Amino acid sequence: MSLERPDTTDDAAIERSPDELEALLGNLVVKRDDHLNAPGFVIRPDTVQETLSILKEQAGYDHLSLVSAQEYESRYESIYHLKKFDDPTQEVSVVVPADKDDPVSESAEPVFRTADWHEREAYDLIGIEYDDHPDLRRILLPETWQGHPMSMDYDRDRPQIATLPKHANPLQEHYKDSESDTMFLNIGPHHPATHGVLHLKTVLDGEQVVDVEPDIGYLHRCEEQMAQSGTYRHQIMPYPDRWDYISAGLLNEWAYARAAEDLADIEVPEYAQVIRTMGAEMCRIAAHMLALATFALDVNGDFTATFMYAINDRERVQDLLEDLTGQRLMFNYFRLGGVVWDLPEPREEFFSKTRDFLDQLPGSVEEYHDLVTSNEIFQMRTIDTGILPPEVAKNYGATGPVARGSGVDYDLRRDDPYGYYDELDWDVVTEEGCDNFSRLLVRMREVEESAKIIEQCVDLLEDWPEDERNIQANVPRTLRPDDDAEIYRAVEGAKGELGIYIRSDGTDKPARFKIRSPCFSNLQTLPEMANGEYIPDVIAALGSLDIVLGEVDR
Amino acid sequence: MGTAPAQLFPEFLVETFGLPGVLGEVVAALIAAAVVGNIVLAFTGVAGPWAKRKITAAFTDRIAVNRVGPFGLLIIPAAAVQLLAKELIVPEGVDRPTWDIAPVILPASALLGFSVIPMGRLGPINFQLADPEVGFALVFAFASIASVSLVMAGYASNNKYSLLGGLRAVAQNLAYEIPLIVTAMSVVIFAGTLQMSGIVGAQTTTLVTIAGIDIPAWYAFVNPFAFVLFVTANMAEVGRNPFDIPEAPTEIVAGYQTEYSSAYFVLFYLGEFVHIFLGGAILAVTFLGGASGPGPESIGFIWFVVKIWGFFLFTQWARSAMPRVRIDQLIEIGWKGMLVLSFANLVLTAVIVGVIA
Repeated sequence: MSLERPDTTDDAAIERSPDELEALLGNLVVKRDDHLNAPGFVIRPDTVQETLSILKEQAGYDHLSLVSAQEYESRYESIYHLKKFDDPTQEVSVVVPADKDDPVSESAEPVFRTADWHEREAYDLIGIEYDDHPDLRRILLPETWQGHPMSMDYDRDRPQIATLPKHANPLQEHYKDSESDTMFLNIGPHHPATHGVLHLKTVLDGEQVVDVEPDIGYLHRCEEQMAQSGTYRHQIMPYPDRWDYISAGLLNEWAYARAAEDLADIEVPEYAQVIRTMGAEMCRIAAHMLALATFALDVNGDFTATFMYAINDRERVQDLLEDLTGQRLMFNYFRLGGVVWDLPEPREEFFSKTRDFLDQLPGSVEEYHDLVTSNEIFQMRTIDTGILPPEVAKNYGATGPVARGSGVDYDLRRDDPYGYYDELDWDVVTEEGCDNFSRLLVRMREVEESAKIIEQCVDLLEDWPEDERNIQANVPRTLRPDDDAEIYRAVEGAKGELGIYIRSDGTDKPARFKIRSPCFSNLQTLPEMANGEYIPDVIAALGSLDIVLGEVDR
Repeated sequence: MGTAPAQLFPEFLVETFGLPGVLGEVVAALIAAAVVGNIVLAFTGVAGPWAKRKITAAFTDRIAVNRVGPFGLLIIPAAAVQLLAKELIVPEGVDRPTWDIAPVILPASALLGFSVIPMGRLGPINFQLADPEVGFALVFAFASIASVSLVMAGYASNNKYSLLGGLRAVAQNLAYEIPLIVTAMSVVIFAGTLQMSGIVGAQTTTLVTIAGIDIPAWYAFVNPFAFVLFVTANMAEVGRNPFDIPEAPTEIVAGYQTEYSSAYFVLFYLGEFVHIFLGGAILAVTFLGGASGPGPESIGFIWFVVKIWGFFLFTQWARSAMPRVRIDQLIEIGWKGMLVLSFANLVLTAVIVGVIA
C-alpha cells in the first residue's frame, strides 16, 4: 500500500521504551510525569540543553513540536514536546519546573532553533525567563505591556494604556551611520503581500535583503485564554475555525476534537470519521487553492487570471462545505464524538455535486500548470529562490507543505493516523527542490491527493447501510476529564502540524489550553530563506510559506 | 521617399479658414494641438480606464463595472469626481516643488510625443501636428522623459518604497532604452529617413502577393525579429507586465506612486495610460505601417486607432497572465540579451540593405 513509509535503518529511528529513555538520560531525570500521549521526564531547569541534546542526538527525537508553559500554585512549568520526524508516534515530554518566585529556566534554543519563538511566547504570556536565550523579548504583546496575562497574579481589570511615544517606534530606526550602506525598511503591517497584519523589519543593501525579522502579534486574540474559559463539550469547538480562518476550519476543529476525544476517552463512530475525513480534505483543497491564488498574486502582481480562477475553484469547494456544514467559513461542524449532523438530504444530490467537482478538478489543475508552473518567467522567479534545506526546516520545526517542499517526508495523516486516512489509498507528496517552486508544487499535487481521498470517502458514504449511519458517539453532557491529565495531540492541518496541548484540572474547563500553530513555526524560517535574496524573492518566500496571521498570532 | 509629405493638420486649418499671417499659424497650431490632445485624452483618460477594467475582467472571469450606466460607462465621470474630490495628502518632508512637478511631467511628456505622430487621415484632415526631419528621434526623446518623472517622484516622496521604485525605474530604463532605440535604428536604415511621414511612406509598398491578397511591406513583416525585440523593449519602456518593476504593488507598494493621492494620482494614472498609448503609436508607425490598412486612405485614422488599441489590449493580456521578472533578471535580459540581439539585428539589417541597395 502506498501509505507505508520507506524503511529507515538509522539507529535513531529505533523505538525505545520509556524506561530505556530514562536509563539513557540517567540522573538528569528527577522524576517521571507521564502524559497521556507520551512519557514525561521532569528535569532540573539548568539541564534543559543537556537533556534535549541527548534526546536529539542519541535517541533521534529531532522534532521539537511545541513548548507549552503554564503556572501552577507552587511552580512554573515548561514542557518540551518532542517527536521524531521519522515516526511522530514516538513522543516524549520533557517537563521543566521553574521556581515560583524566580521562574528561570535554561533555553532550548541552542539545541532546537524553533524554541526561540516558542520560549519568547512563554515569556510573554506566562512570565518564565529563559537563560541563554538569544533574544528574550515579548513576541505577541506590545513591548510596553505590564505583566504576563496568563500568569496567576495578573490583574485583568487593569487597563493597559501606553501612549505612542512609549512604544519603540520602528520608523525611528535610521541605520544612517556612516559605516553602513544599508537601509531599514518596514514591510507591513499594512503591505499588500503580508497576507494579513504582519510586520517584517527588513534591512536592505540596495535591493538585497541583509536581515529580516518578522514582528507578529497584531492579530493576537487570546484564543488560548478563551478556550480555557469554555467548557469542553460545546464551548470550545467554535474557536478553532477562527485560527486558520482561510477555509481550513474543519482541519482545525479536528485538532481540538482529537485532543479532547483522546483526553476524555471518546470513541468516534466510523461513519462520522469518514464524513470528517471527507470534510477535512475539502477544506484542504480550499486552503491550498487560496495559497496558490495568493502566491500567483505575489509573483505576478495585480489581479491575475490565476488568482481569479483559483478563487473560482475554491468557491466550488466552499459550496460543498456549505451544503455539508451550513456555513461557509466558521463551520462549527465537528462535535466531540462525531459531527453535528449527517450529510444533507437528498444525499444523491450532494454526492453528484461532489463528483462533478472532482471531475472538473484535474482539468483545473492542468490549467494552473499551464498558467503558472510551466511559465518560464514564473520558473525563473521561483526555482532556486527561498531555499530551505531539509535540516534547517527540521531544526525550525517546519511542517506541512513547507517541510514537504524541502523533501521532509512527514505527514501526520499517514505517520500518526487518525480519522479514516489509514484505510484509504493516497500518497504523501514531497518535492526535493527546497525552493519556492517546490512548495507551490507540493500544494498543487496535494490538491489532487485530497481529491482522491474525497472520492473514496464518497464511495464509502454512498454504500453505507442506512441503519448504521451513526454520526455521534454517546458523550456525557458534561465532560470532566481526570484531574491533572495532560495530553498533546496533533493533526495535519492545511499548513502543517496543528497540535493542541490540554491539561485538565478535573473541572469541565481546561486548566491549560495550548495551540501549536504550524504557521508560527513555519514563519520562523523566513529569515533563513530571505537573507541575501532580493525583495521580490522575500515576498515570494513569504507567499510560499502560506501563513495565516490568525493562526500565527492566535 | 516616394510620396510627397501630406498636408499637416495646422496647415489644413490655415488654408480652410484663411487664417492670415504668423498669428494665424499660431492660432491654427494651438487649435490643432488642442484637438489632437483631446482625442488622445479621450482614449487614455476616458475610454482607457473603463476598457481596462472590462478587458481585465474578461481575462479573469469577472464582470467588472456594470451598475453605473449602461455597461458601467458612467463609472468614468463617477470615478473622475471621486478621484478629484479626494483629499490631496502632502506627506511631511516631501521635496517640493519636485514632488509637485513630477506628476505633471509624466502625462505632459507622453502627450508631447503625439505631436509628431502621423495618425492618418479622417476625411480631409490629416492628424499630424508637425513632421520635422528628426521626428523619429524626437518621439523617443519625449517618451523617455517619463522616467525622469518617475525618478523625481520616487526621490521627492521621502518614502523608501518610492525611492526603490524610482531607482528601479532608472535601472530599467537604461537597460531597455538602448535596445529599443538600436532596434528602431534598423528601421531607419530600411527607410533611409528620420522623418515620421517618410517611415510610414516607406511601408506602403507591397511586399508579396499571396492568393490575390497584397501583404504590405510593414516592417513587422519585413523584419519580424526586430518587431519582437521592439515590442518586448516597448513593454519595458512603458512599464507593463512582465516588466512593471518600478510599480510592483505586491513588492514595493506601487513604488513612486505610493505617496500620491487625489489629483496628483490621477495625473500619474493618466500619464501611464498616455505613455502606453504613445508606445502603441510608436509601434504602429515603426512596424505596422502607421495609418495604412484596407479601404481608402481617408479612413486611415481609424486603422491607426485600432493598432494603438491592439497594443493596449496586448499589454492588458500580459498583465493578466504573466508573472513579473525580478529587477536583476530584467537588467540581465536587457544588457546581456536584448542589447546584443538588437546590435546583431542592426548590423545584419545594415549589411542586407547595403547589399540590396
